[in-house]
Amino acid sequence: MAGFSPKFKEALSLVQKPGRYTGGEPGCVYKDKQNVDVRMAFCFPDTYEIGMSFLGEKILYDLLNRHENWWCERAFMPWTDMKEQMERLGIPLYCLESKDPLTDFDIVGFSLEYELCYTNVLAMLRLGGIPLRAADRDERWPLIIAGGPCVCNAEPMADFFDVMQLGEGEQMLQDICATVETGKKQGWDKETLLRELAKLPGVYVPSFYDVTYLPDGRVEAITPNRPGVPARVTKAIVKNMDDYAPPVNFVVPLVGAVQDRACVEVLRGCVRGCRFCQAGQIYRPFRERSPQQISDCARELCRRTGYDELSLTSLSTSDHSQLEEILDRLNSWAEADHVSLSLPSLRVDNFSQSLVEKTTKVRKSGLTFAAEAGTQRLRDVINKNVTWEQIERGCRIAFSEGYTSVKLYFMMGLPTETMEDIKGIADTAQRVVDLFYQISDRPKGKGVQVTISVACFVPKPDTPFQFCAQDRREALREKQKYLLSCVHSRKIKVNYHDSATSVLEGVFAKGDRRLGRVIETAFEDGAFFDTWEEYFDYDRWMRAFAACGIDPDFYNYRALGLDEVTPWSHLDVGVSHSFLVREYQKALQAQTTQPCNRQCSACGANKLLGGPCFDYRQDLL
Amino acid sequence: MTTVRIFFEKCGESAYISLLDLQRVFHRLLKISELPVWYTQGFNPHIYLSFSCPLSLGQESLCESCEVKTEQESIDGEAWRAALQPLMPRGITVTKVAPAQAKVGEIATAAYRITMPADSAAALDAYNAAETAEVTKKTKRGHKTLDLKQYLPRIDYTVAGKELVFDILLPCGSGEALNLNPALLMDCLNGQGGAPAWQCQVLRTHLYTASGQDFA
Ligand code: SF4
Repeated sequence: MAGFSPKFKEALSLVQKPGRYTGGEPGCVYKDKQNVDVRMAFCFPDTYEIGMSFLGEKILYDLLNRHENWWCERAFMPWTDMKEQMERLGIPLYCLESKDPLTDFDIVGFSLEYELCYTNVLAMLRLGGIPLRAADRDERWPLIIAGGPCVCNAEPMADFFDVMQLGEGEQMLQDICATVETGKKQGWDKETLLRELAKLPGVYVPSFYDVTYLPDGRVEAITPNRPGVPARVTKAIVKNMDDYAPPVNFVVPLVGAVQDRACVEVLRGCVRGCRFCQAGQIYRPFRERSPQQISDCARELCRRTGYDELSLTSLSTSDHSQLEEILDRLNSWAEADHVSLSLPSLRVDNFSQSLVEKTTKVRKSGLTFAAEAGTQRLRDVINKNVTWEQIERGCRIAFSEGYTSVKLYFMMGLPTETMEDIKGIADTAQRVVDLFYQISDRPKGKGVQVTISVACFVPKPDTPFQFCAQDRREALREKQKYLLSCVHSRKIKVNYHDSATSVLEGVFAKGDRRLGRVIETAFEDGAFFDTWEEYFDYDRWMRAFAACGIDPDFYNYRALGLDEVTPWSHLDVGVSHSFLVREYQKALQAQTTQPCNRQCSACGANKLLGGPCFDYRQDLL
Repeated sequence: MTTVRIFFEKCGESAYISLLDLQRVFHRLLKISELPVWYTQGFNPHIYLSFSCPLSLGQESLCESCEVKTEQESIDGEAWRAALQPLMPRGITVTKVAPAQAKVGEIATAAYRITMPADSAAALDAYNAAETAEVTKKTKRGHKTLDLKQYLPRIDYTVAGKELVFDILLPCGSGEALNLNPALLMDCLNGQGGAPAWQCQVLRTHLYTASGQDFA
């Protein structure tokens, strides 16, 4: 039967949701491997359900497979029961399309979306029978590469990857595949291949750089150790979104994914410049897709996949300058095609009546607003340019439209935060509750539910807050207790996430190359699925740090000097160091910065476009 | 309104698609196909779709079916089949699309072809020699013990090389009617030293009505 070995059948018969491991979903690409020159295994270091919700993989799967002689397949981290069976039965990690083991591929690529997936990368390499460290692999092994936002500080994982991609993969990954194809045909050794790859925009070859340290442990310098290797790697971007049409077909998961719907990326980057937000900085500059392309591709995608829900994704969809036109175009066919629209990232400050009407024709679910901080002062510090008046206006519209539940997102542990700001979180929620009962056309006969969701702030590289120390767990616990004591209404619910994982996240976000040993040690001691609370073991990590003689506090609880050489200083995402320093200093004085579409703050990212980001002669707002 | 039955094989990869997931997949495929299927009325219209006698995960079948409705009086079955097949997940082959002749409730028995490693012969011999073969069946109301020998007094098998093969007929019904999953027999044989389930293939070959007709 279809090449399923008895071993494989045995494993499948013993695990939950075997459909995650069989492949065969509609939309899969199959090719004859005899006629293929480059085989790429696209690995997502988390479960099938999470990986299949990830748009980046769909974009690259589509782009690579358009090349007739390349074949890109998928692999995910098997859940613990399947991992156990695969280990017991000696089934190496394989790709879902061909069921061939990772070692049969030319390129094995990992998407690094969050720091806590690092041990899963090692687990997948181990399951694939591939040596973990780049130094232990010669040209007989697949080229192990990484991409994704975490590469902006690639260093903690630098020992494990041959190549890391800084920036957007659309062109870069195709360039890598083309170079690998040439290398295979010409019989290059690994050194030659890596040298050629290092010439490509955005490609970072960690082994081509030496890191030296000061006696106090800080980085002294990061220097290329080969001639012709750039001192700084500059992020690759797609200059014009319309040049890379979004995929019009998806592999449609058989086992429900977390986000099982059609999605089209409407814009990239963010104009806002929130100072805590890494995505807002590293995806600069802001670029939009045209309404026509969005609508045409969305329609085709819904037709081909049969999805009845369409999500317009981006960091800040409502900042698209032609959002109303996009919605009008989509609404012209959506209803007839039985498709409903959702906008996942609405902003309180431009949440308008007509926007609500255009997106809620079909269903009314809860509304979410990211207020991020409880007082105006702190919102100014983080440059979250949202005022109470805007929150009030947004909620007022929403309540009159029939919404009865509102979720407010906040962060705790922000720079300059005081207990006053914590109380402000509870006060904001209370004011929303009060507002509901003041509105005359509120939904009748229903109560209001306000949920406060609080995340721990983690300082991230390439943000103005990279210089800040992370709040200690004890301090966060105090703040959490205080917040609960400030909430007096049963209509308000508080969701709080534990800070143990945030500690690790903070350490790896700002870590250097020496942390590779810690990650490997923790992995060998049984760490994987660290994103899953039931498998995350803080003490195991602390043991790993101790065993390696490394103090984690050095990375996350220490403020960086403004002139310090950071472990990511050789990786240029576009925003300049001087901009980050300027923004940091403004933050300390609670001064805000205008969004990019109103005024350019000269962050430097426009050099990636080769011109200004916006045409300010037009009245954009 | 015409009730249309879609017959399909469910083998290979697709044997691991659960009923819930299969329903979701078919909804989407029918939507993509733009075939004139009937949508339920109401606030949130969706395609009317109903599967008969679904299999357990890992079992394969040559005779699965589901039904949809259409407002058309007659359909071109071959056109429907051709429209659906390219959209199917791997392992699902649409064999026939035609107006339903029987009701799902008329299904009475299912035939299965079981393939096992040849060294499971002893377990089958033991089964044939035994007076009773008690198994526990999970039902909605708890556990129920029944004697398989009542339904399968004897299993005649043939050995071919490393494998042995036999065909069985088991009660197969929906709702309150008795339904016996071949997994019960496989477990029972396993208890007598027969091969574990993953070394065996369970292939449903026919669904029959009470009069012995192929369910159509
Ligand atoms: S260069 Fe100016 S407009 Fe462009 S991203 Fe930077 S601050 Fe914004």
